[in-house]
Parts: sequence; C-alpha cells; structure tokens
Amino acid sequence: MADRTPLLRAENVVKHFPAGLGASVKAVENVSLEIYPGETVGLVGESGCGKSTLGRLITQLLPVTSGNIFFDGVDLTKLRGEKLRQYRRQLQMIFQDPYSSLDPRMTVGDIIAEPLENFGLLRGRAKDQRVQELLKIVGLNPYFNNRYPHEFSGGQRQRIGIARALALRPKLIVADEPISALDVSIQAQIINLMEDLQKEFQLTYLFIAHDLSVVRHISDRVMVMYLGKIVEVADSVEIYRNPRHPYTKALLSAIPIPDPEVQSKRRIVALAGEIPSPVNPPSGCRFHTRCPIAQLPTPCADQEPPLEEKARYHRAACFFSEKVPVAV
Amino acid sequence: MSQPVLQVKDLKTQFFTDDGVVQAVDGVSFDLNPGETLGIVGESGCGKSVTALSILRLVQEPGRIVNGQILFKGDDIVTMSDEEVREIRGKDIAMIFQDPLSSLNPVLTVGFQIEEAIEAHGKVPGKTALSRTVALLKQVRIPAAESRVHDYPHQFSGGMRQRAMIAMGLANSPSILIADEPTTALDVTVQAQILELLRDLNRDLKTAIILITHNMGVVASLCTRVLVMYAGRVVEQGPVEQIFKDPQHPYTWSLLQSIPRLDSDRHDRLLSIEGFPPDLIRPPRGCRFHPRCQFKIDRCLHDDPPLLNVGPDQDAACWVTMRRALASNGERRG
Ligand SMILES: Nc1ncnc2c1ncn2[C@@H]1O[C@H](COP(=O)(O)OP(=O)(O)OP(=O)(O)O)[C@@H](O)[C@H]1O
Ligand SMILES: Nc1ncnc2c1ncn2[C@@H]1O[C@H](COP(=O)(O)OP(=O)(O)O)[C@@H](O)[C@H]1O
Ligand code: SF4
Ligand code: SF4
Ligand SMILES: [Mg+2]
Ligand SMILES: [Mg+2]
Repeated sequence: MADRTPLLRAENVVKHFPAGLGASVKAVENVSLEIYPGETVGLVGESGCGKSTLGRLITQLLPVTSGNIFFDGVDLTKLRGEKLRQYRRQLQMIFQDPYSSLDPRMTVGDIIAEPLENFGLLRGRAKDQRVQELLKIVGLNPYFNNRYPHEFSGGQRQRIGIARALALRPKLIVADEPISALDVSIQAQIINLMEDLQKEFQLTYLFIAHDLSVVRHISDRVMVMYLGKIVEVADSVEIYRNPRHPYTKALLSAIPIPDPEVQSKRRIVALAGEIPSPVNPPSGCRFHTRCPIAQLPTPCADQEPPLEEKARYHRAACFFSEKVPVAV
Repeated sequence: MSQPVLQVKDLKTQFFTDDGVVQAVDGVSFDLNPGETLGIVGESGCGKSVTALSILRLVQEPGRIVNGQILFKGDDIVTMSDEEVREIRGKDIAMIFQDPLSSLNPVLTVGFQIEEAIEAHGKVPGKTALSRTVALLKQVRIPAAESRVHDYPHQFSGGMRQRAMIAMGLANSPSILIADEPTTALDVTVQAQILELLRDLNRDLKTAIILITHNMGVVASLCTRVLVMYAGRVVEQGPVEQIFKDPQHPYTWSLLQSIPRLDSDRHDRLLSIEGFPPDLIRPPRGCRFHPRCQFKIDRCLHDDPPLLNVGPDQDAACWVTMRRALASNGERRG
C-alpha cells in the first residue's frame, strides 16, 4: 500500500474560522494524510473535532487557511477558476442528511442531472439516459426521474444523493456520515450499495462517521481525529485489535456491543468530561485534560507528541503509546 | 414476584390527520416491575415515543388514546382526571427526552428549573430546595455543582444538559423514569457516561427505567428486558439475553444480523432488510412485516399473528418463528 502513489495527499493542512474578538476556531490543525486509489479510509472522532471541515477542505468546498492538498500529484490549493473546476469533478461529497441536501423544488431527474449540466457534459436524450442509468445503478426505478424528493423515504433519498455524486464519474467520494440519519434497517442497504459501487467503479472513499462499528466494517484504514488533529492512523483490523492512542482506546470501549453477555464483561475506559473548545485547545498534547494515562505537567501538558510510526503502517501521536492496554 | 408498578394493556393511540387515521400505537401491552430496566427498541416512526407520551397522557391533538388501560399501581391513567395525572407526572413517573436543550427553558438557570420541579409537588423552604438541587446535580455527577447550579442551559455542554434533565427527573424520587432516546444526540463517549449514570441510579435508588432507543447496543448495556416494536405493535418481548441470543421474530433476527459488531469478524456483506417501514395510515394486511419478511408463508399475507409464548418468558408475534424458519432453511440446504 505504502509503495503506491497516493490519489490524494494533504500536507500540513490548517483551517481556522474567525470566532469574533480576534479569536478563531482551530477546526483543523496541521493535518497530513494520504489516501490511496481504491481504498476506503474511515475518519472518526467526537462531534466538533473537525471531520466535516477536513472532508470539505479535501473536496475543495472550503479553502484552506494554509497547507497543500495534492490530487493526482497536482496541488489543488494553487489552482483557480476553470482549472480547479475540472479537478473538482473528480471529488464528490455525500452528506448526512438526505432531507436537507436535496432541493425540494427540483425533480429527482433534475437533481441528478444538475452536475452534468454545470459541466455542460450531456444534453437532451443522452442526458436523460444517463440519469436513468444512474437511478438504476443506485437501485431505484429509472422512471422515478419525474418525482420530487419528498415522495421518497430517507434511504431512497440517500440513494438519490449517491446517484448525483456519481454523475460526474468521480474518483474520490467523501461520505460525511452517510447513514447516521437513516433507520437501522436501512443502514445496511446503503453500506452494501456503497461497497458494490466501489467495486464496480473503482471508487476511493473517505468515510466519515462517529459509529466505529460501521467504520470498522467498511474501511481498509482508519484515522482518528481529536480537536482538529489526527491522533492515530492504522489498518482497520489493527487499530481495533491494538490501539496505540488512549483516545482511540476510550472511543472503542465506549461503543456498546449489541450482546448483553459480552457487554456485561467489558471494561469501559471512562473519559472525564467532554471535548474542550477548539478556540482554546489545551497546551502540549490536546488530549491531556481527559487522558487516563497522562503524565503531567511534563511531558504531556508542555510538549506536543508527533504523529509517528509505532509499528508498520501504524502511526499514533502519544508519548506513552506502549502503555495503552490492548484488546476491546 | 411483586406487583408490576405499571401495566399497559391493549393500548391504542391514533392521530386523526387530514390524510387519515395514523395507527401509531396499535394494541401494545406490557408490564413493568419495580426497579426493572425495560428497553423499547424499533426504528423511527414505529410508535415508541407515542407509547411513552401515552403513559403520561401527553399525546397532543390530533392524537388520542382510543383504547386500553395504563395501570399505575392499579389506577388507570387513561381515565383519571387531569389533576390526578398532573400529580403523577414528575412525581411518580418522570420523563426525559432526546434533545435536552429544547426541554430546558433558555432564560432560566438550570438550578431554578430543578427547584421548580421539586416545588411542583409540595412547598419546600427555599434553602432546602437549593441544597436538594445541588445534591441532585452532584448525584448526576455535574462537577462543581455548587457554582454550576446558577448557570444557564447554554453554558452546559450536551452531556451536562442531559444530566441536568435526569436530575430534574429524579427531583421527586419517582418510581419510574422514562428516557426517550436520551443518548441519541450525544457522542459515544458521553453516551457511555450517561448509561453508566442510569445504571447506578437504577441500582442505588431502585428507580424502574423504560429506555427507548433504536440502538441495540444501548439496550444490551442497560436493560434486563426488551420490547421490540414494529409498525405500532410489539412483535417480540423477553429477557435481553434470550432475545439477543435466540430471537424468534424475523424482524428482531434481521435487525441483529444487519448491524456490524465491533467484536465480530469482518464479514463481506451485511444482511439487509429490503424495503422500508410501512405507512401507519394504511398498514399492510396480515402480518405488518410481511412485505419485508424473507420467511413469510401464505398465511402471513392475510392473517395477523398474535403475540404468543415462544420460550421462557419470551413472546413473539409470528406464524413461522426463527426456530422453524432456520430449521427448514437447513433442510432445504440439505
Ligand atoms: N463555518 C464555520 N464557522 C465557524 N466555525 C466553524 C465553521 N464550520 C465548523 N466550525 C467549527 O469547527 C469545528 C469543527 O467542526 P466540524 O463540523 O468539522 O466537526 P465534525 O467533526 O464534523 O463534527 P460532527 O461530528 O458534529 O459533525 C467545530 O468547533 C465547529 O463549530
Ligand atoms: N402529532 C402527530 N400527528 C400525526 N402523526 C403523528 C404525530 N406524532 C406521531 N405521529 C405518528 O405516529 C407514529 C409513531 O410515532 P413515534 O411514536 O414518534 O415514533 P418513534 O418510534 O420514532 O418514537 C408515526 O407514524 C408518526 O408519524
Ligand atoms: S501524550 Fe500524554 S496526554 Fe497525550 S495521549 Fe499520550 S499519555 Fe495521554
Ligand atoms: S408472521 Fe410471517 S411475515 Fe410476519 S414475521 Fe412471521 S414469517 Fe414473517
Ligand atoms: Mg460533521
Ligand atoms: Mg421517538
């Protein structure tokens, strides 16, 4: 994997949002990552840690504050106008809320065709045919193209969102919590669909979610984010079996397993409190205010642990990663 | 075994809308024993919240309880006077909701709102009310409770607001706490804290808990018994160990098969339940699950299966049941 050329590479990407009175929200802070062609990378972390912001930076829906994003070797942060637009085609996003992400006044056909029109790609019958083909691909009746979004269930609307994302034959799809708003019985349908599409069209996914069981199922590799930083990256089997960052460990232990016998025997690593404000993140290691194995004040509160290789293809940002207990 | 604190018998709650009558809760029955933790699971729209609201007679127009009894310590809540129901609400049966921000008043301090809850059921001297409020906030593990009691809701994080709601619910030591998706809006780390809190309160105060959720993992970590609802009906009920190990209703079975588990081997494909939940204005004839059921037989299309005993204290509403469905599958495979 590491010998191949990444499809996307982010280097020291920073995103700050102004928060009034000269303060700023440090939503994404010095993130570097690679995504290889054909793989699914899971991105997890608590609410507000910067997952969606990172996803929107990667798909060029938001400009970076600083840093570089290379796609197929080209630095997208240096591109403007038509050049950038042509690259944007290859980067699509699927959103969490299938209700609000589709325009209620447009027919399903128009919603799916919109990106084709924006890029002046297909017209008339050819366009209609492509729309019907896309509807079929995502498991919907091709003759639904004249209906409106409100006539569809949540799962069907998510399929429409996926069809729209596929219209321009993208290479990379960032899926931001694509199943969180769906009923439990519908979630598996959408996960299976995404897996089928990946095989059929050689797609690469960045799959953002807070449900680590789903992420483990769908991802080849998993990245864990905390307060704007990536704190651990590893193969998805490895990260669950052998987490090297205490935050990952705590997140894993907090997921309730749907089996009362197993669940009653598990030990939950309780994290004190909640995620601190990204306006004033803690000094040193940002996790030190909640970390069960922190050594304070030195080094955890006054030095920042680098994200470094702890085992083959396994990186973590912690001074004491060997002390993180193993197994779920 | 002691008398149940709550008995719901053949409850039917309907909404009379312009499009037709929504049969939101359609013949739900269950008992809740003192100190028990009962989970109600099912996907959105299956009638969980309306069941909970019916118990406290909080269903709003155009909704109405049209049938059944809700016996609290033997007295029927359905036929009580408004005054009697108000006395029970908050005092004997308390309820907390998914979104604590919308159930707290933004212009009043958290402490004031808890004091109000205490005073709603009998006058207490101001000082006593305040010290009781601080004690409650400590009980739900709000750090620095003495000073945080004067904070406004927006100064609390999501998890702290849910704790404050629980504190308010506990204000009059109710015998039943109904929690409707109390952790759905929270991060898993905070969810784990709230579940632990509820578990401790149940153990220490012996408060019976009805926990409504769509998350099977949450049920597994807190409840001793579970009701599975589908399209306004209870389709299966029993002790959690039993239901998770040996579900007999195809809906329960499929739900458990369709969720990826942290501790299982990664398998290639999830089992998925095809189709989507039915419209409760025109629910399917026969078994309501039949359009999505992979085990249906002819009878399911027109005959409605009753909830029948299928194991020790386990009931399921299915003509086939998983025991037979899996056995005949095995036969077919040879
Ligand atoms: N346009 C904006 N202006 C100011 N702050 C913002 C903006 N967008 C995001 N933020 C802040 O940046 C931080 C990261 O937000 P982001 O939406 O990326 O989090 P997330 O990890 O996707 O969270 P969730 O799990 O809740 O979706 C948060 O503190 C958020 O409030
Ligand atoms: N105020 C209302 N008016 C009309 N229908 C309603 C109303 N409230 C709930 N319903 C319907 O009742 C059914 C059950 O809803 P609810 O109990 O809220 O489901 P859940 O299991 O998700 O809590 C759904 O079909 C819902 O649309
Ligand atoms: S560096 Fe220190 S505070 Fe940070 S995760 Fe490791 S032990 Fe905890
Ligand atoms: S009664 Fe028939 S349709 Fe209903 S769950 Fe059982 S087998 Fe399926
Ligand atoms: Mg987000
Ligand atoms: Mg509800």
